[in-house]
Amino acid sequence: MLEVAGLDVKYGDVQVLWDISLTVGTGEVVAVMGPNGSGKSTILKAIIGLVRASAGRIALDGKPLAGVPTHAMAGEGVSLVLERRRLFPQMTVLENVRMGAFHPSARGRERERLEWVESLFPILRERRGQLAGRMSGGEQQMVAIARGLMSGPRLLMMDEPFLGLAPRIVGQIVDIIGRINAEGIAVLFNEQNVHLSFSNAHRGYLLESGRIVLEGAGLAMLEHEMVKRVYLGA
Amino acid sequence: MTATLFLEQVVNGIILGSMYALMGAGLALIYGTMRILNFAHGEFYMLGGFFVFFLFAQQHVHPVLAVVLSTAAVALIAALVQRLTVDILLKREGWAFSTIAVTLGVSVFLQNLALALWGERFQSVPYFVEGILQVGEFRLPWQRILILAVAVAVMATMAAVLRWTRFGWAVRATAQDPEAAAVVGVPARRIHTVTFALGAALAAVAAAMLAPVFAVNPWMGLPLIIKAFVVVVLGGLGSFPGAIVGGFLLGIVEAVGITLTSSEWRDVIAFGMMIAFLWVRPWGLFGVKER
Amino acid sequence: MFAPLAPQGRAAVALLVAVLLILPLVWHDTYALHLIILSMIFGAFAVAWNFTTGYAGLKTFGHHAFFGIGAYFSALISKNLEISPWLTTPAAGLVAAAAGLVVALPVLRIRSVPHVAMVTLGFAEIVRVLLTVFRETTRGEMGLWGIPAYDGFTIPGLGEIAFNAAEKVPYYYLAAFLFLGSVYAVVRMVKSPIGLALVAIRDSQDAAESLGISLTRYKLLAFSTSAFMVGLLGAFYAHYILLLTPSSVLGLDLMIYIIGITLIGGVGTLFGPIIGAFVLTIGIEAMRGIGEYRMLIYGALIIVVVMFMPRGLVALLDRLGPRMGFGRGVALATSDDAAKAG
Repeated sequence: MLEVAGLDVKYGDVQVLWDISLTVGTGEVVAVMGPNGSGKSTILKAIIGLVRASAGRIALDGKPLAGVPTHAMAGEGVSLVLERRRLFPQMTVLENVRMGAFHPSARGRERERLEWVESLFPILRERRGQLAGRMSGGEQQMVAIARGLMSGPRLLMMDEPFLGLAPRIVGQIVDIIGRINAEGIAVLFNEQNVHLSFSNAHRGYLLESGRIVLEGAGLAMLEHEMVKRVYLGA
Repeated sequence: MTATLFLEQVVNGIILGSMYALMGAGLALIYGTMRILNFAHGEFYMLGGFFVFFLFAQQHVHPVLAVVLSTAAVALIAALVQRLTVDILLKREGWAFSTIAVTLGVSVFLQNLALALWGERFQSVPYFVEGILQVGEFRLPWQRILILAVAVAVMATMAAVLRWTRFGWAVRATAQDPEAAAVVGVPARRIHTVTFALGAALAAVAAAMLAPVFAVNPWMGLPLIIKAFVVVVLGGLGSFPGAIVGGFLLGIVEAVGITLTSSEWRDVIAFGMMIAFLWVRPWGLFGVKER
Repeated sequence: MFAPLAPQGRAAVALLVAVLLILPLVWHDTYALHLIILSMIFGAFAVAWNFTTGYAGLKTFGHHAFFGIGAYFSALISKNLEISPWLTTPAAGLVAAAAGLVVALPVLRIRSVPHVAMVTLGFAEIVRVLLTVFRETTRGEMGLWGIPAYDGFTIPGLGEIAFNAAEKVPYYYLAAFLFLGSVYAVVRMVKSPIGLALVAIRDSQDAAESLGISLTRYKLLAFSTSAFMVGLLGAFYAHYILLLTPSSVLGLDLMIYIIGITLIGGVGTLFGPIIGAFVLTIGIEAMRGIGEYRMLIYGALIIVVVMFMPRGLVALLDRLGPRMGFGRGVALATSDDAAKAG
C-alpha cells in the first residue's frame, strides 16, 4: 500500500536520511527501530509532508504523495500521531479528538468514529470536558491516538508511541495497536526498543545513522545475529 | 465631583474600554495564530473610519449597511496585505522582526494613502442615533450606548465562533500547535489569512462606531494601536479573553484616573499601568508564562 | 562580525572620509550642507540602533526616547540654567544612558520580539506624553524655542568660529565629529571581546549562558552605550534646529524613519545604516516636488525592501565591488527566530 523508495532528506546542508526504501502492505503492522537520532521521526515526517524529501518517491496505492500538503494527507487516508502526543493543551479532550475529523472527507462519519474511538479508550468518554494539557502522559497518548483515528485512516503512523509511558500503559497501547489493526488499518510506528518494536510488528526495519541496514519479519528480526549482538548484548 | 458625575465617567470608561477591547482582541487574535505583531492594525482602524465617513456621511448609505460594508472592505484589504507580505515572510528566517518591519511600512503607506485621498482635515461623521438617555441626574447619549452594545455583540459573536465553530477550533488549534493542526487537516495558511482579516475587521468595527465621537483623520490609528498594545500586555499577548478583560480594565482605570488628576494624564496612566504589569506579570492576566 | 575590510575597501573608506571633511570647504551650498548634517545625525542614530538591534539582538522600537531625552534635557538645562551647551550636550548623553538602563532592565526579562517592541515603544510614549503634559516647562506641542546655540570660539589662525543659522560649516564639522566618532566607537565595540560576547548572545542565548557570559551585564552595556550616543545626537539636534516639539523628536515617525534607514541600507551591517541615512534623507528631499506622494513612496519602499531586498542596498554595493567587503556582516535572523518558525 505505502511505498517509499530511495528517500533522501536534508536539513539545510546536513543529510539525515540516505536512500530509504520501505513498504507497508494493506493491513500490516510495520516497525522502524533505531537508536536516538537515527532519523526515525524524519521518515514519518517526510511521508506526511512536514519535511521535504530531497530525493526519492513516496506513493500510496501507486499514487505519488509528493506535492500533497500536510493538511490534505488526512484526505489521502494517512494519519500521524506525533512524537510526545502534541495535543492542543488549551482544548478539551472531546475537542482534541474531534479535531481529528477536521478534514472535509472525515466529517460525514464523525459521530460514528467518535463512538468507536471512545469504545477503544473508554476513559475518553469520562474525561470529555477536561483540558487535554492537564492529563497524564498515558491518557494524553490515548487522546492522541484517538485523534489520529478520527480521520478514518487506512495508514496510521505513530512516532514513538511508547515514549515515557509506564509499562502498564505500554501494554495497553500495544493492545490497542492490535485492535486498530484488526479493523484493517495498516500501522507504521517507530520505536527505540528492540523487543517493543519487533515483537509487536509483522515486519520491521532497522535504521542506523539514516540508513536502513536490515529488514525482515518481526520475530525473525529479533533472532537476527546483528540485532542480537548489537542491541540485545548477546 | 458628584457621585453622578463620577458614575458617568466610569460608564464612559467602560464604553471606551469596549473599543480598546475590540482593538486589543484583533491584535491578540493575529498574534495568537501567527505570533506576529501587526503594526498596521491602527491603519485598518483608520480605514474603517474613513469608509464609514465616505459611505454614511458623504453617500448617505444607511448606517447599518455602511458599518457592515466598511468592515467587509477593511477585512478584504487586510487579507490582501497578509497574502502579499506576512504570509511570504513567515516562511523566511528572522520573521519575528521582518513582519514587524513590513507592517510598519504598510502603516506608513496606508496613512499617506489616506492623506492623499481624503486630506489632513478632521472629518466629522454624524451620530448614528440621536438623543440622550436620562435617568435622574445621569445622562448618556444613545450613540454611546449603541457603541457598547455593538462592541459586546461583536465580541460575544467572536467568542462563540472561536468556541463552537470548526473555523474557531482550527484557529485555536493552529495557535496552540501549528504542526499538529496541519497533521489533522487544518490548512494553516488559509487560517492565517482569514484570522488576519478578522482581526482587522474588529478594528474596523471599533472605528466605525467611534467615528461619530472622535473625528476621522489619517493619523487616528496611532493612539489606538498604542492603547491596543497596552491592552494585550495587560491581558497576555495572544489571549482573546485577556484582551477583552484588559480593554475594559484599561478603560475603567483611565476614567477613574483622570477624574482624580486631569484628562491630560490619561496616556500616562495607561502606559504606567503597562510598564507596571511588565515588571510584575510580564505574561499578562491570561497569558501563559513563556521562557 | 565585520570581516576586516580588504585594502581596497580601506582605501575607499579613507577617501570617503576625506571627501566628507573637505566638502564644506569647497561647496558652499547651505541647503546641501544642511541635508548632509541631517544625514550624518540620522546615520549615526541608525548605526547606534542597529548596534543594539542587529548585533546585541535587542530589537527595541523605542530608541527615539533617548533622542528626545537628550534633546529636551540639553535644551532645557542650557536655556533655563544658562549653562553652555558644550557642557549640557555630554550631560544629555549621560542622562540618556541612565534612562537606557531603566528601560533595559524590564527588557532583559523578556525574550519575545513583540514584547520587547511594545515595552520600548511604551517607554518612549511615556516620555513623549510627559513632555506634552508639563507644558509650563516644555511648551508642549507649541514648541520649545529660544534654545541657545553652541558658544562660538576662536581658533588661532582660522579666526572666529560662530554657530548660527546662517553659518553651517561649524555645525557640519561638529556633526561629522559625532558621526565619525559614533561609527568608530561601534566598530571598536564590535571588534572587542565585548562585541564577540554580544554575537554569542544574539546567536544563542542558551549557548552564551552555558559559556558563562553574563547576559545582563553585556546587554545593559550595549543598550546604555547606544542610548548615550543617541542622547548626544539628540542634544546636538536641539542646539542645531533650535526648536523642539514632542512629536518631532519623540514621535513614532522618527523611530520608523531610523528603522527605514537601517532596512533600506542593510540591517546588521556597519555601512548599511550610513548608506540608508544618506539615500533616504536626500531622497525624500529630492522628492519634495511630488508633495504628499513622497511619503507614500517612502512607505512602499520600506515594504519593497523588506520583501525583495532583505539585505538592503549594501547587497547591491557588494555586487558592484565584492572585494571591498562593505556588505560583510550578518543577516539579522537569529537562531531563536528560526527555532520558533520551525
